[in-house]
Order: sequence, then C-alpha cells, then structure tokens
Amino acid sequence: MFAYIVRRILATIPVMAIVALFVFSLLYIAPGDPAAVIAGDQATPDDVERIRQSLGLDRPFLVRFGEWVFRILRGDLGVSIFTNLPVSTMIGQRVQPTLSLMVLTLILAVTIAVPMGVVAAWRQGTLIDRAVMGFAVLGFSVPVFVVGYLLAYVFALELDWLPVQGYTSIDQGLWPWLENLILPAVALGGVYIALIARITRATMLEVLQQDYIRTARAKGAGQGSVLFLHALKNAAVPIVTVIGIGVALLIGGAVVTESVFAIPGLGRLTVDAILRRDYPVIQGVILLFSFVYVLVNLLIDILYTLIDPRIRY
Amino acid sequence: MDRRGFLKAATGVAAVPLGAAGLAAPALSQTAAARTLRFVPQANLANFDPIWGTQYVVRNASAMVWDTLYGVNDKLEPQRQMVEAEEVSADGLTWTFRLREGLRFHDNEPVLAKDVVASVTRWMPRDPMGQMVRAVQNELVAVDDRTFRWTLKRPFPKLRYALGKTNTPICFIMPERIARTDPFTQITEFVGSGPMRFLRNEWVPGARAAFQRFDGYQPREEAGTWLAGGKRIMVDRVEWHVMPDPATASAALQSGEVDWWENPLTDLVPTLRRNRSIALDIADPLGNIGSFRMNHLHPPFNNLGVRRAVLMALNQEDYMRALVGDDNNLWKSLPGYFTPGTPLYTEEGGEILKGRRDLDAAKKLLAESGYRNEPVTCIVAQDQSITKTQGDVTADLLKRLGMNVDFVATDWGTTGQRRAMKNPPGQGGWSMFHTWHAGADCVNPASYNAVRANGDGAWFGWPNIPAVEQAIAEWFDAPNEAAEKAAIGKVNRAALDNVVYAPTGFFLGYQAWRRNVSGIQKGPLPFFWGVSKT
Repeated sequence: MFAYIVRRILATIPVMAIVALFVFSLLYIAPGDPAAVIAGDQATPDDVERIRQSLGLDRPFLVRFGEWVFRILRGDLGVSIFTNLPVSTMIGQRVQPTLSLMVLTLILAVTIAVPMGVVAAWRQGTLIDRAVMGFAVLGFSVPVFVVGYLLAYVFALELDWLPVQGYTSIDQGLWPWLENLILPAVALGGVYIALIARITRATMLEVLQQDYIRTARAKGAGQGSVLFLHALKNAAVPIVTVIGIGVALLIGGAVVTESVFAIPGLGRLTVDAILRRDYPVIQGVILLFSFVYVLVNLLIDILYTLIDPRIRY
Repeated sequence: MDRRGFLKAATGVAAVPLGAAGLAAPALSQTAAARTLRFVPQANLANFDPIWGTQYVVRNASAMVWDTLYGVNDKLEPQRQMVEAEEVSADGLTWTFRLREGLRFHDNEPVLAKDVVASVTRWMPRDPMGQMVRAVQNELVAVDDRTFRWTLKRPFPKLRYALGKTNTPICFIMPERIARTDPFTQITEFVGSGPMRFLRNEWVPGARAAFQRFDGYQPREEAGTWLAGGKRIMVDRVEWHVMPDPATASAALQSGEVDWWENPLTDLVPTLRRNRSIALDIADPLGNIGSFRMNHLHPPFNNLGVRRAVLMALNQEDYMRALVGDDNNLWKSLPGYFTPGTPLYTEEGGEILKGRRDLDAAKKLLAESGYRNEPVTCIVAQDQSITKTQGDVTADLLKRLGMNVDFVATDWGTTGQRRAMKNPPGQGGWSMFHTWHAGADCVNPASYNAVRANGDGAWFGWPNIPAVEQAIAEWFDAPNEAAEKAAIGKVNRAALDNVVYAPTGFFLGYQAWRRNVSGIQKGPLPFFWGVSKT
C-alpha cells in the first residue's frame, strides 16, 4: 500500500508538468494584454508598450517559460502582475473561504443525498422515489446562480435570517463563519446532492437485488440494518467515486457561487485573474486546482481499500 | 432584537456548554459600527499605485491616502491644497511654491519640498498634461524644506490645474524614497500624505480594502468640495467591499450590510427606490460620454466620407436608451466632444449630430464616398455592459446603412490588446471599438486623449488632423476664458468635421446610500471627507 501511495505521488509530477506546460502555452497564445489593462483606458500605445516591457511580457516564450518553471521548482509561484503581491500570498488569503465552502457543501450534500438515494431505492416507484428523482432533475437543471439569488432573496432580504454576502473567518467565531456560508453551501450543494442522490439510488437498486441482501432479510435483519449496513456498504464504491469526481464540479460551481455571494475565495480570484490576464495568478491557481484534484483522486483510491477489503494495490 | 440577532444569540448560548467561548463572535457596539463606513466601489482595487495603474478605482482609493498640491473644487477651479502660497514671475516662467506648515506623511515624517519634486517628477511622464509641462520645463528644484521652484522655457498658464485636476493620473505627493520608483514600475510601500491610512495587511485584492483615519493629517480650514478644501474624515474607518455582482451589492445595501454603493446598475434603481432606507442621487454630474473609435489608418474609415456617413446616420437616442432605459434624467444628446454643463461646453460644428436622422442621406453619402463593401471589423467587449450595449446598437446601425459588418465579440482584456495593433483589420487589426470617457476627462483638452488628433501620438485610431491639434494648442496658450472658449469651439468643429471619433451621447449614473449616511457629494469620484454615519 505504502509503495502504491509513493508511486501515485511520484506519478503526479509528470501530470503537473503537463498541466504547467499546457497552462503556460494556452495563456501565451490567448489574446489579451495585462499591460493594456494596467495602463487604463486613457493610456497611449507608448504607455502600454513601456508597461509591457517593464513586466517582461515582450520576451520570447521559451525564456519566460524557462524562468517560470525554474521558479516553480523552487516553490515560488511568482508575483501578481497587478497587485505586486506574491501569488502564494494571494492564494493563501483565498484558501480558507473556498475550502470552507467546499467542505460545508460536501458535508451537506453527503448528509442529505445519500439517505435520499437510499430511501428512493428502498421505496422505488413510490411517491417518495418520484419526489427524490424530481428534486434531482431540478438540482441538475437550475443554475447555481439562480438558486443563489432565490435563497438570498428569501432568507436574507425577506426573512432577514442570514446575511446576503461576504465571508467571516472561522477565528471570528463559529456562527459568524457559518452564517455566511449556509446559503452559498445550499446553493452550490444542489447539483451535488442531485448527482450523489441519483448515483446512490441507482447503485442501491442494483445491490438490493443481490442474493446476500435476501439472505440478510432471511436472517431477520431489520430494514435499517439491511439498507445501511449490508446494502449501502456494498454500494459505496461508486458513490465515493462520484463524490470524488464531483470535487471538480464543486470547484467550477465555487466560481459562480463566490461571485453571487461575494465570497473572497479562489474561484473569484481565478475569474478576476483571467479577466485581467494576470498570468502568474492564473497559472498558480490552475496548478493548485490540478494538484488538489489529483490528490482527491488518490484519496478516493485509498478509500476504496477501506470500503472494500477485496481491493488491493 | 431582530431574527438574525436572535439566531446569533441562540447559537452563542448553544456554543457555551461546548466549552467554546472562543467561538462566539466579538460583539461590535452600535457606536463602533457607526464609525465604520462600508462602501461598494465600482471595481476591484487590484493595485495601489495611482501613477503606475491609472484605473479610476485606483485613483479613487488613492485620493483618500495621498494629498495633492492643488485640488479642483466643484466649479473645476484649482484651489491650494498642500500649497500655502505660490508666486509667479511677471514673464510666467518661474513659479515658486511654498508648502503648508505641519504637513506629515503617515509615517509621521514631515512632507518636504524634495518629496514634492520627486512626486511631480514621477507623475509627469504618465500624465498627458504632465508631459506638456515637462516639455517646457527648465528645472524643478527644492529650494528649502518648504519651498520648491519650477522654471519653464515658456509660460504654462494651466499649471495649477494640472496639479489639481481629478483626471487620472492625479499628481499625488509621496515620500521621496517611494516617488523615486520608475513610473512604469509599481511601488511597494504605501505611505500616504492624505487624510486616511491604507491598511495594507487588511487588503485582499478582489475582495476588500480598509482605510483608517490618519490623526496626524491637518485639513485646510475651508469647507471641503471635491479635491479642494478641508478633507475632514468623520468616521474612524472606511471599508471597501468589492462586489462583482450588482444584484448582490443591491441586496447587501438593502439589508444594511453596506452603507454606500458607488454605481448601482440602472436596472436595479427602481428596486432601490422602493426601499425607504435608501437614498439615490446622481453620482457624478459630469457623467460619461459614450463613444466608438474608428481606425483612421485603414479602409473603410480612413475615408472621411465613410466616417461622416456613419455620423450622419447615428442616432444618439438609440444608444442612450439602450444604455440607461427610459429615465430621461440620465441622458442627453451630445453634438460635440465636451462635457455638458461645464464652462467650455460647445455645440459648434455639431449640426451633423442634431435633428432628425436621415438614413437615406447617409446611404447616399456612403455611396458617394467610394465605400467598396470592405468589412468593418467591429470589436465589442461583451464583459462590459456599456461597450456591449453600444456595440449591439452600432452593428445594427451599420447594417441598416448597408455596410459589411464583421462583429467580433470578445472581452475587454482582448479589446485592450487588439486596439493597440496598427495592422489592417484582416491581419489582426480592427476597424472600430467601443468605449466611454468620464465627463471629468472631457471638460477641456488637458487630459482628453480621445480628442487628440496628432497621428501616431494620438489615442487608438490614430487620427491625424492638424486643425484639431492647432486649436488645442490655442487653448493651452489662451490667456483668458473668452480665448479658451473660442479655441474649444474650433476644436469641436474640426473634430466633428473630420470625425476624430463618434460620440454616442452623454449619460449619467446613480449612486445609492443608506439614509443613516450623510454628507455624500456628487462628483467625478467618491469623496469620503465630510461623510458621516449615525
């Protein structure tokens, strides 16, 4: 197992290298000019050119790529063209809100979606099943920003239960932290709940047809025990896989959710950086997201061995 | 207690048995909350060097942190600010300035003449007016700690205006060690000379910036208007909350999470009006001028007849209604290039933009001009509502006129890069792009790049019209207001006759604030002095 983990971690190196080359090349060929944005709308072409030179944006691709790779290898993500702050500092400022949002969404989604899927499978064809599937369709279909606006209107503006926007660090207190995240997590969680609930239902339906389930019932196991101990445990591998894949979904959704709820997270940092062509920040954030995604997949693979002892690496 | 307060208290009570005393939120007293003004700016404060980055949002934040030698008031008259007195020699070639006593930087060091010299020297290459001063400058030296002298090769009557204007970049005064930074390189230290300190450790670009009142600042005795007079800060702290989504900003203002929103979206104004806790008013009486630039270097717009045909067909009302809707208080037709309501405003030569629009006559003119159906590469940034809206109207206009439109939907970052390219449209260049100009920039030619027509040195589109340049030179040398007005009349006529660019109309925007906030001024930037909160 240990050897497998080491091998997988080593395998992330070429993956990250390919991502780095891809991201750098893409940004190089993409249109847009940070110097023009910095100079402002009233700047003359000469001003823009001077700024471009001072930022080193006029140098050849290989020189810039080489310097960037050299810095990355030393753990230096570079400095933002616009803010003049180290990219690592900017990412550090934004990690907590995004991580908080994603973790809370994940907890919320798993807590709600798995029981929903189990119950829907158990009560297949009934009103409960149809309601769960109807909710899943709705969750997939309604965009995150629409859900976000509706939630903000009802729970913040009309009922005044929760704030409209913003983020409070967890060291300012549990409730201030939580109250800013409830609506975004619910908005973001909609798609995720729908996805997990559907997969759980489908997998559970398959498992509930298995002989060992009939055996468990014949032995007199209770309904809860059959569903959650015998069936769900055996249905867990595809569910966990989907949860892992869904992290990418969460990252994408966080971009929109953070904008709607004015949360200063990595999603907004990414969008702002792309619109301004802040190359070092875009590169740093994409590298981070890629790394997180690779790491999550590794964790999921390790989790398989805990869920299903038959799986060995 | 409101419902949110109840929930907060209930959670606090629930947290105590868990031994989580540290988890409860710190209580913020009513008084402390009233001492903090929460503001939603027009854009993200992505950098904080007002000379290096000339975006309006950077200027607006910088005006709190750095002071100026002069400052214009709401009549656009430059008033002494850091300067106590100035003396001009009879030939107008030597200016001697004396600084006010007791001026201090935020590190408590005194503001000295050498700081001023370094700051002005850094500002000049980045500012169109500064460049003109530099071109006639003999010497700029510190005479003693509080005195500096400027000697010129020829008189520059508008020197005070140059040092006190609101147009970006403003000539802010920084400590010498910071001001020695190359003007094309960003500063790394933010030691101000103005009424508020920038709290760098609280700055999260893209999300938040915070400013604290600087107790060592000595405001002037006069009442504060715009950049002039006593800049008295009535709150302890100003927080900027960046909200990219206007609907979120609107909801935050309604729920009382923020106090002042710089630029509400016109579509959201009716909603805000219905809320009795919110006040709305015009943000900047100098407004904005919508425009599209035509590329004078390449067909079809290197042909004056084609440019005039487009101007003849253009209906500014179409643009303005698309931009601001049916609120007639928010727009005006603009048969010229200068800001309505300001002393130099003129409509001289503006007949082509007035009266009923005659599409048939425009088509006839287009045919006579020799237009050969060349494609018009129309660059339209979709991520800016003003450019997108104008672009849609223009595309429709050109099609009705019978032109071959190549509509390029893109973003502002790409527009910024592409508009700098002088290649023909088919080789990565362009024929036209849309933008807008702050009315404050268009009150006279001082910092009005868009009206310049000096060929390669001109703004994107590179018009080369000597008559315009000649008239602008006359304005700079004008000895009195009558001569200034005559010169501006000539600029307007020559620019319209030759279509330096196409003005699409004059439009205003609102600002909104909670009624417990008072003292908000109308102006080209949000002024925080005199603003209080109860």
